[in-house]
Parts: sequence; C-alpha cells; structure tokens
Amino acid sequence: MDPSFLIPAPDPIPVNWFFLQFLLTITTFLHLVAMNVLLGSACVALAAPLAGPDEQTGPLCRKIGEKLPYVMAFTINFGVAPLLFLQVLYGQFFYTSSILMAGYWLAIIGLLIVTYYAAYIYHLRYEDLGPVRSLLTGAIVLLLVVVAFFFCNNMSIMQLPESWVRYFSGGRGWQLHFSDPTLVPRFLHFIASAVAVGGLAIAVYYEHRRRQGDGSGERWIKYGCNWFTIATLINFPIGFWFLGVLPSFAHNATTLAGKLFTVSLYGSLALAVISVIQAQRHRVYPAVGWALGAIFFMTLAREFVRIAYLNPYFSLADLPVAPQYSPMIVFLIFLILAGTLVWWMVKTVFFAQEVK
Amino acid sequence: MNYPVWQLDFAGGGLLIAVMAILHVYVSHFAVGGGLFLVLTEHKGIRENNPAILAYVQRHTKFFMLLTMVFGSLTGVGIWFTISLLNPAATSVLIHNFVFAWAAEWTLFVAEIVAIFLYYYSFGRISSRQHLIIGWIYFACAWLSLFVINGIIDFMLTPGSWLENGSFWSGLFNPTFWPALFFRTFLAVMIAGLFGFMTATAQKEPGLRHNLVRFCALWLLAPFVFLLASAWWYRAALPPQLEAMVFDRIPGLQGYMRAFIVCSPLLILGGLLMAVRTPSAVRRSLAVVMLIVGLIYIGAFEFIREGGRKPYIIQNYMYANSLLKEELPAVQQVGILKSARWAHLRKVEEDKLGVAGQEIFNLTCLSCHSIGGPLRDMRKRSAQLSIKGLEFVISAMGEKLPYMPPFAGTDEEKEALIFFLHRSLLNQPQAND
Repeated sequence: MDPSFLIPAPDPIPVNWFFLQFLLTITTFLHLVAMNVLLGSACVALAAPLAGPDEQTGPLCRKIGEKLPYVMAFTINFGVAPLLFLQVLYGQFFYTSSILMAGYWLAIIGLLIVTYYAAYIYHLRYEDLGPVRSLLTGAIVLLLVVVAFFFCNNMSIMQLPESWVRYFSGGRGWQLHFSDPTLVPRFLHFIASAVAVGGLAIAVYYEHRRRQGDGSGERWIKYGCNWFTIATLINFPIGFWFLGVLPSFAHNATTLAGKLFTVSLYGSLALAVISVIQAQRHRVYPAVGWALGAIFFMTLAREFVRIAYLNPYFSLADLPVAPQYSPMIVFLIFLILAGTLVWWMVKTVFFAQEVK
Repeated sequence: MNYPVWQLDFAGGGLLIAVMAILHVYVSHFAVGGGLFLVLTEHKGIRENNPAILAYVQRHTKFFMLLTMVFGSLTGVGIWFTISLLNPAATSVLIHNFVFAWAAEWTLFVAEIVAIFLYYYSFGRISSRQHLIIGWIYFACAWLSLFVINGIIDFMLTPGSWLENGSFWSGLFNPTFWPALFFRTFLAVMIAGLFGFMTATAQKEPGLRHNLVRFCALWLLAPFVFLLASAWWYRAALPPQLEAMVFDRIPGLQGYMRAFIVCSPLLILGGLLMAVRTPSAVRRSLAVVMLIVGLIYIGAFEFIREGGRKPYIIQNYMYANSLLKEELPAVQQVGILKSARWAHLRKVEEDKLGVAGQEIFNLTCLSCHSIGGPLRDMRKRSAQLSIKGLEFVISAMGEKLPYMPPFAGTDEEKEALIFFLHRSLLNQPQAND
C-alpha cells in the first residue's frame, strides 16, 4: 500500500507557515530546557544519596524536592505551546501517529498526574518519608522516563508514514515503533541531555546563592558541573550513534534541509564542547549560556530532520493558507501583557526588601 | 473518514471524553471562581483584621493549588489528547481556526501559574496590597482563559456566521458566546463556594468555621438567580431549530435535563442548611454531598450542551462521525469504504459482510455508540431490533431521527452494517426477520 494515500488532508493555516514554525521551534526549545531540568534534577535527587550520608546530601535533595513541583508545572505548560503549533503544521501526521499508539499516548496524562503529585509529596513530606524517599524519587524518574519514551515513539511514528500500514495488521491503538533504528539512540540522547542539564541547573542555583553571599552550597556547584560534564561526554557517543542510524536523506548536504541540519548539528556540538570546558572551570553562567545555545541548535536540527523525513510526502510550503493575521497580532499583545505581568510579579516578590 | 479509528468498543461512544471533560470542567471552573474567592476572602480577613481568616486563605490556597494546578491542568491537556484521538478531524478544525486563541490562552496560563505560585509563596513576605494585586492578576488571567475557551466551546454549538465567512472573530464571538460566558462565570463563583465548604468545615476553631461556612454559603447562593437568568438568556440565544432539538427532540438529553433541574433546588437547600449552625460532623458530611451534587449539576449541563450539538460535532459543518456536511452527498454516492482513507476493505464482499459491517460501524457509529459499554450501547440496542427495525432506523437517520447523522453509505454498505449489528455483534448464527 502506498503510505501517501493514508495521509489525511491538512486544514488551512491562518498565517504563513514560517511564523508557526518559528513559534514551534522557540516553544519546543523552552519545553526541552524545562523538561531537561525536571528529569535531570530528579535523577540527581535519586543518585545523590548514594554518594554520601543524608547529613551531606540531604540539603541538596531537599532543595531539589522544593523546586520539582514548580519545574514540573512549567515543563507541562511549556509543552502545551509546541504541541499546539505542531498540530497546526503537522496535524495530519501527528493525529495519525497519536491514534496508532492511542493507549500509550493517553496513558501519559495519568502518568503525569501521578508524577506531579509524587513530586509534591516529595516536597511537602520530605522529612516524614525516610527510606521511602529513594523509592519515591525512583518512581518519579521512572515515570518521567516512560513519558519521554512514549513521546519519542509518537515523534518517530509521526515522521514515518511507511510504518502506518501496521494499523491494518492489528494492534490498533497499541503500537510502539521499535523497528525504527533511531528510536533508542534518540531516546537515550534526550535522557543523557536531561541528566546533563539537570546537573547544570543545580550548579546555577547554588552559584546564584553564592553570588548573593551564601557560600554554604559551594560544593554543589562543582557537583552539578561534574554531572553536566560526565553526562554530556556520555552523550557524545550516543549522539554519534543516533547520527549513524539516521537515514542518509536526513543529512544529505545537497538539500537545503540537509545543509541546515548539518550546520545546526555541528553548531550544537561545538557549543556543547565549549560549555563543558566552561563547566569544568566552574564558570557556571557562561557554561549555561553555551549549553542553552547547544540545546537551541539541537532543537533546530530536530526540526530539520523532521522536514527531511516528511519531504517525500509533504512540504510546509504546500499547506493551504486562509489568511487571517489579526488573531496573531492579538496573540502577540497577550504575550507582551502576560510577560509584563510575570516580570512585575517576580520582581515584586523576589526583590521585596521586607514584610510590610 | 480521514483518520484511523481507535477501536474502543466498551469505552466507545465518547465515554473517555465524558469522564475526562466533566472532571476537568468542574475543577477548571473552580480554578476561575476559586481565584476570586481567594482574593475576596483575603480582603475580608484584612477588613475584619482577622489573622485567622488570613491563615485560612493560605491553607485554602495550598488546597486550591494542588487541585487546580495538578489535576486541573493535566485533565485540561487530557481533554486535548482525548479529543484528538477520538475525533481528530474536529480537533484539527478547532486547532487550525483558533490557533492564536489557544496560543493567547497559553500566555494567560503561564501568567496564572506564576501568579498562583507567587501568591502562595509570598504570604507575609510582601505588603498586603501587593499580595492582593497578585491574587487579582491570577483571577483576571483565569477568567480571561475562560473567556477564550468559552468562545471555542460555544463555536461548536453555534458557529453562527463563521459558516459563511470563515472568520476567526465570527467563530469566537458566536451567537451564544456572551450568555455562555455569564453562565459559566456565575457557575464558577458557585463552585468556589462548594469547594470552599470543604476547607471551611475542616477549620478547628468553631467561630472561624461558622464565619467561613456562612461566607461560602453566600458564594453559592448569591449568584444563583443570575445563573438562572443567564441560563434563560443562553436558551434564548439558541437558533429556534437548535433549541427545539435540545429541549424536545433528543430523547437522551431528557435525563440530564431532569438532573439539572433537580440539582438546582438541592444546591439552594444545601446552601441554606450550611448557613445554619449545625454540628461539625453534619456540616462536613453535607459539604461532601454538596460537592457531589455540584459535580452532577455541571456534568448534566455539559452533557446537555454536548448532546445538543447532535447530529453534529460542529453545528451544520461536521457530523459527529467527522464527516463534513458538504461531503455527505459525494460519500453517499461512492460509499464509505471507498471514501475512507483508513478502511481495511474498499468494497463490500459477500463473504466478508461482517468485517465490512464492522468497518462501517467503526467509521460512522463508534463516535457515539459503544459496544457493551455504558454510553449508547449498540449491542443492547441491536438486540431490541429486528433486521427490519434496523433497516428502518438506518434509513430514518438524519430525518425522522434528526439527532443522528444521515447514513453515509451505499445500499450494500447498509446491508453489511445490518449484518454486523444483527449477526456478528449479537453472535447470531441465523438472521432473524
């Protein structure tokens, strides 16, 4: 069967695809950063007690626990926007892949609710948990990893319409995509990246405190930087594995998408190397800047790979457009107003001098 | 017809979305009304110079945050996930037409999260005035979220002139936008009172408890007359044909209508009882009962609103089974199996009647009917009908049975569907005329 027959007809988009792709890329980047901090710091909270007695590692774990629910809230929130823009641009692929793995896809909601409440329990009942604490952090990490695995599967099925024909041989709603050779390295690439960024987030937090005159957490700056360095170094071979199993058309330098992918990939690689060097010198803020750059370039690379994968079937420029720009302008006004309010609230609370 | 089908059988007929949506709608209305409750209760505490009330606001904020931020947010995402699995074509229409409304709502969601976290975090850390402003920002953003989402939800019921001009603004500010917005706002305020009972009745100090419970009763009772007025306005805003369909012609909605009507005086009575000084255990139990009555109340309303769209999912545009109204004649001519992209069979074959029938059922009936499940069970209905009865029902769809989409298939496909419903589904070896 010709898979192109199965691809649903897209609905018209209201503005030029470039605006939507831009918003998709930016919001995916924000989501990935938040997701990395969430999963990575949860991994550190799980592993840290193994490195020493509770008197030593307890303050770090408690601090991570305090922040986890908030990071989780923003991870979910920042996930909503890219999911929206993904549906607008690639809905015909995304809805199909979601239905093919519907059981797992819908399970994500239940898993996230359990994880979120587990994060709150870890935060609010930290002292009472005792030995159960490690089990709880283990469960949080496991659940987040499972959610990430389901997401990787959906993205994999979405961009490979030739795999869709399995629908006709049964297993409706319960398909995973193990036959995609990129699935496992892609998934591991994300996990290693999350662990690295989680470590760096810890270093940033304690660096910020140090700059405010609280030097009690100085050892965690080095600790977080080490997590970042080791996980990033582990991620290099995983990344090359991922690159090695990508089909040649994805990085074909004769196509525009292939060229842009190559530039983004090597740009990301270079920035990751610089960020590791900075982290090893414990220059935390520059390391963060370079690491964010690396993640942004990797986000771009990811978009170009998707475009290359779907190229035989679909091009963004082919999407029908029914122009209506005024709603986009209203959205931008909302964005500015909401951003202003957020800035005012954060400034008011965190720069408050005293209780009045 | 454009997408594959998630064959749910027992959970078919929209059970998943019903469960997810009702729970979410209840909590999300609390997220709006509860925001107003927080700031006005804080104002009360400041006005009465009562630190106990302010301490209560802090405790209630924690409860509010844990419920709305976790369960409310995720079931909201869950609705999105569920509708895209059960009716991707309609979801795609909503997403593509209103992408920037959703995006604007997302910016409000960001501000809501920051506001409620900071509101909770900053008790006693900043001035009362600043704290209240953050509370008001939360409420304003939450209500504006309702404003946006309300437009999209009611677009599905009354798309108005969008059907002719395709304009975003016509779709958003559709004929039932304003009455629905007022109705939901008053409902949100009442729900804030219902959830307020839960925390107020848990207060240990009797004086504080009584003060707060009476305050919550006011939240439940005061908006009630406005709720009824906006419900009347909502009904009046419906196009006459749609009004007749909702209130007279769809048999399945009468039960929800009765539940809504019965729960109204129950809420009033419960609110009055709560305001009277009764033993703590009685009040606590009554608070739980009231919360359940509130869930039934909003659940009944949502069932009426959702059911009122039938046979469409987007009124006069797309049928509940995802078939576009304008595509119906063409599909009827060539058949369902040839028109659907994701059909196993392309034509009805004599030796595969049951398979073809099931395929047609999945493509055109499963969105409203379950097989052996609690919602519009087709096995039960088929068992009550003979072959001739089934033939009559299928032919009457869209006309004598106006709440069902017209059957989109050919005569052979109708025969295959009847074979599936009468033979395969009921496991009958012989046809029974």
